[in-house]
Amino acid sequence: MTRYVLRRLLQSVAVLLGVSILVFAIIQLVPGDPIRAALGQQADPETYAALRERAGLDDPVPLQFVNWLAGAATGDLGVSFRTGETVLSQILARTPATLSLAGAAIVVALLIAIPLGTISALHPRSPVDWFASLSSQAGLSVPDFWLGILLILLFAGTLGWLPSSGYTPFTEDPVDWARHLILPAITAGVSSGSILTRFVRSSVLESLGQDHVRTARAKGMRARDVLTWHVLRNALVPLVTVAGVQLAYLLSGVVVVEYVFAWPGLGQLAFQAVESRDYPLLQGTVLLFAVIFLVVNLVVDLAYARLDPRISYRSAR
Amino acid sequence: MAARAGAAALGIAALVSACGGGGEEVDVDDGNGTSGADQGGGDGDAPAGTLVAAISAQPDQFDPHKTQAYASFQVLENVYDTLVVPDAEGEFQPSLATEWTTSDDALTWTFTLREGVTFHDGSAFDSADVVYSYRRIIDEQLANAYRFASVANIDAPDPQTVVITLSTPTPALLDNIGGFKGMAIIPEGAGQQTDLATTAVGTGPFTLEETGAGGVTLARYDDYWGDPATVEGVEFRYVSEPAAALTALRSGDIHWTDNVPPQDIEGLQDDEEVELGVTPSVDYWYLAMNQTRPPFDNRDFRRGVAYGIDREEVTEAARFGAATTNQTAIPEQSLWYHEYAPFEHDPDQAADLIEQTAAATPQPMGLMVTDEYPETVQAAQVIQAQLAEVGVEIGIEQEAFATWLDRQAAGDYDAFLLGWLGNLDPFGFYHAQHVCEGTSNFQGYCNPEVDTLLNQAAAETDQEARKALYDQAAELIVDDVSYLYLYNPDVVQAWAPGLEGYEIRPDKAINFETVRLPE
Repeated sequence: MTRYVLRRLLQSVAVLLGVSILVFAIIQLVPGDPIRAALGQQADPETYAALRERAGLDDPVPLQFVNWLAGAATGDLGVSFRTGETVLSQILARTPATLSLAGAAIVVALLIAIPLGTISALHPRSPVDWFASLSSQAGLSVPDFWLGILLILLFAGTLGWLPSSGYTPFTEDPVDWARHLILPAITAGVSSGSILTRFVRSSVLESLGQDHVRTARAKGMRARDVLTWHVLRNALVPLVTVAGVQLAYLLSGVVVVEYVFAWPGLGQLAFQAVESRDYPLLQGTVLLFAVIFLVVNLVVDLAYARLDPRISYRSAR
Repeated sequence: MAARAGAAALGIAALVSACGGGGEEVDVDDGNGTSGADQGGGDGDAPAGTLVAAISAQPDQFDPHKTQAYASFQVLENVYDTLVVPDAEGEFQPSLATEWTTSDDALTWTFTLREGVTFHDGSAFDSADVVYSYRRIIDEQLANAYRFASVANIDAPDPQTVVITLSTPTPALLDNIGGFKGMAIIPEGAGQQTDLATTAVGTGPFTLEETGAGGVTLARYDDYWGDPATVEGVEFRYVSEPAAALTALRSGDIHWTDNVPPQDIEGLQDDEEVELGVTPSVDYWYLAMNQTRPPFDNRDFRRGVAYGIDREEVTEAARFGAATTNQTAIPEQSLWYHEYAPFEHDPDQAADLIEQTAAATPQPMGLMVTDEYPETVQAAQVIQAQLAEVGVEIGIEQEAFATWLDRQAAGDYDAFLLGWLGNLDPFGFYHAQHVCEGTSNFQGYCNPEVDTLLNQAAAETDQEARKALYDQAAELIVDDVSYLYLYNPDVVQAWAPGLEGYEIRPDKAINFETVRLPE
């Protein structure tokens, strides 16, 4: 087990290095100059040259990368061109907002997916099933920004129950934090929930047809117990993988939802970094997203071993 | 959508009117600032509390000397001071300087500083802080260093006096040092001692308390040199989505917002839950053609394009009518306005001129626009349709702003649409744009006559003579179609009914010093 984790961590380092090189290379190919973006139209040639030199942009690209890597290895991700703040402090400032939103959104998604998927699998081709597939289709097709604005107009505007936008840190006021969180979490959770609903449905359907389920039924087990112990337990193991990917996706920022709800998350940060060609900030956020995916995948794989006793990471033999 | 708005901005500049002739003492309003709102002092029993303002874009940083983002200046306007400050009409008034004189040769400007001013950290303000602030901009070659191009020396003979020596007469000096808060005075040594990107040490009516990813908080500075602000603080929130901002305003979550798209104006005019403010701005939007490329180098071709464009239609599409068409740069409300409109929309004449000069029929022309400013995209679509009728085939090239700027700087375009914002002094919006070697003359315009006029005007200290020179230059610029000026957009802001003491300004400076909350 430990050895497995170690091996995975080593692989992760290689992946991260690869991602960094790739991002660094791609940024160089994208047209647009960070210093010009910061100075705007008014860029005076001398100021422009001075700022470029100070930012190290006149160095050869491989040297720029090595400098960045040397810093990153010691935890120094550099300073943002645009804001003059360290990349690390900017990322840390936005992490709580993103964790809140991603966590709440995945909860919303699972609350939608597990009951809806299970019920529709238990009654295939029934009106319930029909409703579930229609609503998950709708949930997938509805654009986030439209749903978000609709929710704002209804719950913040007409009904006045919830704030329209913004974010309050949990540490400042937990109740206000929750009130601000509800609408964006629903908006972000609906599309993930729709994907997961379909997955739960097909997975439960597959389990229902298995031999051990038939046996359990034949021996007279109560239907509810069959469902809980023999169907769901098996059907939901693969859900962990899919939900894990969805969570990683939510953690790496849902730009549109963040935009609509003025949510200060990582997605916005990455978007701004691209817009202003802020190389250090972009490099830092992409690296973080890669780390998120690697960690979530590792945790998912480890969780498998707990959920499914047949899977083991003990070295074979 | 992008956070870094207004980078095109800060076209810079200002009116020099207050300091007309050389050697003349300027009238001074001693004491209590320059409040323009129709409201008495900050005393009385108005409800205090915190004003909540939603701004549409996000500040990049709070170092006034380094940022170029309008969103940053919306906040900094309330935190920092400059030596002089433009009033709502664009005339310069005392701020940290109470009076100033210019020598007879117009090369020496002597500023007397206000006494009893303290920075937010408690330290006293004096001339050393002014010298330090300006030297920081010049010596570190920061973005606004060009504003000191004609400054030879900055001295502090005593704590209350600053002397600026020029290499050439510069009537635009007051605009250069006071046109916006990018020229703010910071305490001596603050650049090294404090992290100005995230904190602030100003002399303004509010202190910067907390900066976060979702907004910033300001608190009233009780030792402010002017009348203390009425509200206890200001909370700026960053809300990019207009529907969210307006809902928040209606439900009372916020008191003020600038996030009002022009298409919403009509619907808001009769809305009792929202007070709408609309006023003409000193911004201008224009089309420029690359005069290093044929056939755009041909004056007649450019004039053909100018006759082919119907500004009314363009303005309607780009701004839903929330703008005033203009064939020159500056709007009627400005001191520097010059009435001149030689191009009546005339498709026949346009077609003739274009046919005679085009390299092909129809003549292809790439028109570079950016989604950073959606109105350029909307304007381009209308211009495309209009010019199709007179023999020009426009290809709209929509770019991210960073790419757009790169292509502009490289001269890699046929034509582009953009604006200059916050224009006060004509030096700021004519000189660098239209002299042959101007740093913002990306279109490659060169007319020696215009150079002569603009250079004379830059050094002319007599206000009337100076305006006459600019008027002549402006006519040539319009006739030659160096820029094809389109319109001056309106400033559009909305606030809660009952909010008092707020003044909507043509230069879009947002000042909450005199605001009183509703009820």
